[in-house]
Amino acid sequence: MSVTSMPPSRLASARLAPSRLALPSAARALWLEFKRNAVPYVLPLLAAVFYFNTVRTADGFPPVWTLRASAITDHMLFEFSAFAGGLAAWAGSREGRRKTTDMVATTPRAAWARLSITLAGTLSWLLLAFLAGVAVLYVQTALQATWGGPPLWPVFVGAAGVTVVTVIGFACGVLFPGRFTAPLVAIVALVLFQTGLRQALGVAASSGTYALLSPASSPPVVDAGVYYHAAPDLSIVQVMFMGGTALALFGALGLATALRELTPSRGLASLRAGLARTDGWLLRAVAVILVACGVAASWTAFALAGTAKPDAVGGWQIPALHSAASDQPVPATPACTSSSGFQVCVHPAFSFYLNDVAAVLDPVAAEIAGLPGAPLSAKEVASISGGQDVPSGISGNPPVFEFTAERVGMYFGQFLGIPDPVGWREGFQQGLLDAFLARPSQQAGSVPLGPAQQAVEDALLTAAGANVSATIGKMLENGQPIAGPPAVRSAAQRFGALSASARHAWLAGHLAALRAGTITLAQIP
Amino acid sequence: MTAAEVLKPPASPAGVAGPGPAGLRLVWLHLRSRRAPAGIGALAVCGALLHLALHWHWAFNSGAYAQQVPMIIEAGAATVIAVTAYSPFGETERSAGRWLPCLRLLTVAGMCGLAIALLQLGAVGESLNAGVLVLARNVIGITGIGLLCSLVTGALLAWTLPMGYMLFCQYALLQAWTAPWVWPVRPPADRGAWIWACAVFAAGLLLFAIRGPRTRLSDDS
Repeated sequence: MSVTSMPPSRLASARLAPSRLALPSAARALWLEFKRNAVPYVLPLLAAVFYFNTVRTADGFPPVWTLRASAITDHMLFEFSAFAGGLAAWAGSREGRRKTTDMVATTPRAAWARLSITLAGTLSWLLLAFLAGVAVLYVQTALQATWGGPPLWPVFVGAAGVTVVTVIGFACGVLFPGRFTAPLVAIVALVLFQTGLRQALGVAASSGTYALLSPASSPPVVDAGVYYHAAPDLSIVQVMFMGGTALALFGALGLATALRELTPSRGLASLRAGLARTDGWLLRAVAVILVACGVAASWTAFALAGTAKPDAVGGWQIPALHSAASDQPVPATPACTSSSGFQVCVHPAFSFYLNDVAAVLDPVAAEIAGLPGAPLSAKEVASISGGQDVPSGISGNPPVFEFTAERVGMYFGQFLGIPDPVGWREGFQQGLLDAFLARPSQQAGSVPLGPAQQAVEDALLTAAGANVSATIGKMLENGQPIAGPPAVRSAAQRFGALSASARHAWLAGHLAALRAGTITLAQIP
Repeated sequence: MTAAEVLKPPASPAGVAGPGPAGLRLVWLHLRSRRAPAGIGALAVCGALLHLALHWHWAFNSGAYAQQVPMIIEAGAATVIAVTAYSPFGETERSAGRWLPCLRLLTVAGMCGLAIALLQLGAVGESLNAGVLVLARNVIGITGIGLLCSLVTGALLAWTLPMGYMLFCQYALLQAWTAPWVWPVRPPADRGAWIWACAVFAAGLLLFAIRGPRTRLSDDS
């Protein structure tokens, strides 16, 4: 028996027979690309950066969906830009780097199809990683949030951002295959991101609004998307711009081979020969159509961004895309508590701090209960209305102390600006007393209290259990809070030493004069 | 075609193998094999980018944000130096190159000096927030990270770890971290930051000079 006469084994023939489960050739090539791609090697590093730059930053925000989701475009896209651009350039430069361009040019598949598979493999890995990151962020928020659901537009914008940076990097790798392409693309992507952020932060309707095309921006107000829907106008334009750019570049990749043949050194002859060629005309036509569609989409988005104008709730609207439905308030039943008779209501999105606010306001409200103008309840309202910041204050009949998630009294940014719990607590108490002791015409916190008002406020805060000496002072010097002068402290101590009923009686008789600023420190008992 | 024809050494093209001392020629060939001239061009691009960023106020003028864009560009220069470490000859060169450690050391040190000079040139006449000291410290330290990374990933992917470190430093900058190992966020004259940056650079340079970059992982992918 010789080798030639030996029948092939059953196993071998089974291997040679076409499998019923065989994938199409393009899918097999994509699977191969998946396995050989460099992105998985970098994922641990990307995950570490994601944890610090995105997860920890988002952790510092209150668990409000729109605010937490802003970390996707402001932070997550930043780190993904660097790696998406660099790794895509690395994948795109593979043929050039290995000097196999001529060898693979002889394969029956078009260069565009070959490059598309490499690009698809890289992009799929990056989008998978991106979506996994979004899932981590959203699951964490879902466990903490008390109202609302995950906004999808920031995810679309982020995915479009990752896609466009990947395609740009890939195109750079194909056209300029070199060892420096990947790091330089990564750096330029980051610089572009930061430049976009810088321009977006300074954007104003009067000076052009094209910078709004940048996906990065400052964090929205704390209650964005809570009282009113977050209009998707800007997100639509950003996705259109980035998607169009990616599409045009992808089409340009299809034309890259033909363009290389039309080198100037070959003159008009090469142009005539290129036009006369009939092979691959369909692919070239498709590529041209993609470029045209991409440029049209990007240009349209660019033009639309120029028409943006501020909307009533602190965002931007684009008239051609704006839906009036997003201007309607979002229905929600407030979360309220009134354990000691003083009712405190907050939006359900902020119900996680309802009890804390009530515990802080109750003692102060008890000190002034029954006095003229003293609030019977406290209510959280939207922080922006009619395009203007809403200050806290006492209004209505019966009087209600209104505060916002962004502002109480002289304090701005309850969550972001006052990290220490003592400051946060006394910010609320001061906000209530500022509004109570100030003149009715003046907004709480807009003008510092007079010495007598300040002394009374300090005494009432002390009586309510606050450690006034440890708090930030209420009087301002050169715009900075300072401890009150000795005379104010002395008057506050005198007034604080009175019994609660005596304080109450004195206030009932002198409140109007105290608000008008005609009471001196010496007149305080 | 006969074997004699194959064995006959090809004539050197004019201008490539010019006359000169053997040492200089060795250095020049080493630099060319590392694409050092193109690397210098890439460093010049980084310098130009820094100039444009400062001139057109792409970055903020003061505060923590002001350091962000310069730090990105400095890290870019450092990654260019790290990527220059790639050798197309791999094992062959290692077995035959007696002067290789010295050449590697000189190349990286020279490229570092050049990077600092070119970036500083880009900042001339503009307001660089933290000055040339922070610029130099960032380039030196992040280059050290890139060289260490090249021992693991190979030189062509040695830009990844410096990029990750720089992105982490962006976060540390805004969160006001003060640990000395996060040297890009420290003041110019901070001794701890200088010690960390120089130590990382020295470790990276030493190991890189002795061992050379890994020649398998990244080069095959």
